[in-house]
Amino acid sequence: MATHNPEKETFVRFSVLQRFLHLFTMLGFTGLAITGFSLKFSSQWWACGVAWFVGGAGHLAYLHRFCAVITYGCVMVHVLWLLYFKFVLKGSLTGPQTLFPRGKDLRDLVAHMKYFFGNPKLPEFNRFAYWEKFDYLAIFLGMNTMGLTGLFLWFPEFFSTILPGYFINIAQVLHLYEAIIAVALKFVVHLSSAHLRPEIFPVEKSIFNGRTTREKIMKEHPGEWKALMAAEGAVVEKPL
Amino acid sequence: MKKIILVLWFFSFCGYPFAVSAKTQPRIPAIPEKESSWFVNLNRFADSAHGTFSCEQCHADMDKGDKVHPVSESSTSLTKNATRLYDYSRCKTCHRKSYENYILGAHARALQKEKAKPDNQHLSGAEPGNAPTCGDCHSAHYARSHLSRLETGRNATEVCGSCHLAQKASYLENYHGKAAVNLGNERSAFCTDCHGAHQCVSLKDKEAALTACRRCHPEAGQGFAEFVIHVTPKEIAIDAKQKRERVALIRVITAIMAILAVLVVGFFYGHTFLWILRELHERLRRHK
Repeated sequence: MATHNPEKETFVRFSVLQRFLHLFTMLGFTGLAITGFSLKFSSQWWACGVAWFVGGAGHLAYLHRFCAVITYGCVMVHVLWLLYFKFVLKGSLTGPQTLFPRGKDLRDLVAHMKYFFGNPKLPEFNRFAYWEKFDYLAIFLGMNTMGLTGLFLWFPEFFSTILPGYFINIAQVLHLYEAIIAVALKFVVHLSSAHLRPEIFPVEKSIFNGRTTREKIMKEHPGEWKALMAAEGAVVEKPL
Repeated sequence: MKKIILVLWFFSFCGYPFAVSAKTQPRIPAIPEKESSWFVNLNRFADSAHGTFSCEQCHADMDKGDKVHPVSESSTSLTKNATRLYDYSRCKTCHRKSYENYILGAHARALQKEKAKPDNQHLSGAEPGNAPTCGDCHSAHYARSHLSRLETGRNATEVCGSCHLAQKASYLENYHGKAAVNLGNERSAFCTDCHGAHQCVSLKDKEAALTACRRCHPEAGQGFAEFVIHVTPKEIAIDAKQKRERVALIRVITAIMAILAVLVVGFFYGHTFLWILRELHERLRRHK
């Protein structure tokens, strides 16, 4: 947020690393969804089409694991960055302008719901509104649990030496339902709230080029704008 | 360049209808058709594995010993199930190994038990609950030879599944069945790869199950065989209390996850829907 260009009035909302991670998570997640659901719903014509296109069930499974490595690799890079940010750059991971969930998010949610039902006043969202925090935390925590159950299914021989074999059944169930929740949320809810709703339609470019404008911050994240103004001149704490 | 790539990309899908039609084309019926059991379609017979045989090679000794050839004028003629009357020990002449394995297996034992019953119930043919003999799974007149592993395996799923309905359904819910039957992966296991074709082992014994697993998963340890392949509450032996509990646990977790999915997804879909409506409303109002 420190790079303030007075001529164009643009601000950096997402760093290069964050854009890169979003892009690769997006591609990996899409690949995971396509290959995974083609395996799960393999009796459907479209699943047979996908399997045929990639060359059979074996390749489908291989691609699923390939995408899983990419996606989880993004999670690990992100965790390393968080550690670096926290311990080397001495940044804050829990401040009001970060993705850390706070009580204000619940109040914002209630106020936002009131807005849906006619209240003209929008809550003062900080740098990350509650739905953005939910999008982030859902995928950050979800990727870890999906990764764990996925490893169970990848190496059943190894894990059945630690736990009884029917835990593989349980891992299958958890993996499937979490996948359904994740796909239903990411491809519909995240896409609509981040890109397709009338205020933003057709596309929100800031996650791809990192840039946002002064007007946008003032309109969508008034809390962040206030904090920025309050800290004018001082070193603004670097968010996630 | 862009156009060429686009055209190539488009044409890459042209094989798709063939791929799908190859998958959905009618499978070679291996299950003996009940209505034709006394009458042989000689055109189809000529195409079958036994097509070069003469009738006598299998049916010559019908009136040997104390056996009597059915009288075609008799009122009871052709009313009995042909596969139950035929003496399948004749198959042994050529299919010795298969026959011996069958005699050792669970199906043969079940058939013996049925025959021991006084009410000749075994004459009613193979249905769920009744024991099968050779002709109940194999069509002597129409079964074809030189089928690929995939064709044999898919046929087996249909044939075994015609009695073991719950097992077929749960197998197709399992990754093995999805990869093998639905997606045509030859490296995945079909029914007979674990249970054996003729001996038909139930695999309730954990040691036997582990041996079966290890054919493909050589590193499998003791706990591996506790994986429940057929997650179905149906057709579990009464004494298999442990399996009953595991299936129940898996189903309870499935139900909890399903409820969770409906709640979470439902809430956020409603949230997004209302949000979009509200913003549309705001836009329309402002444009007035």
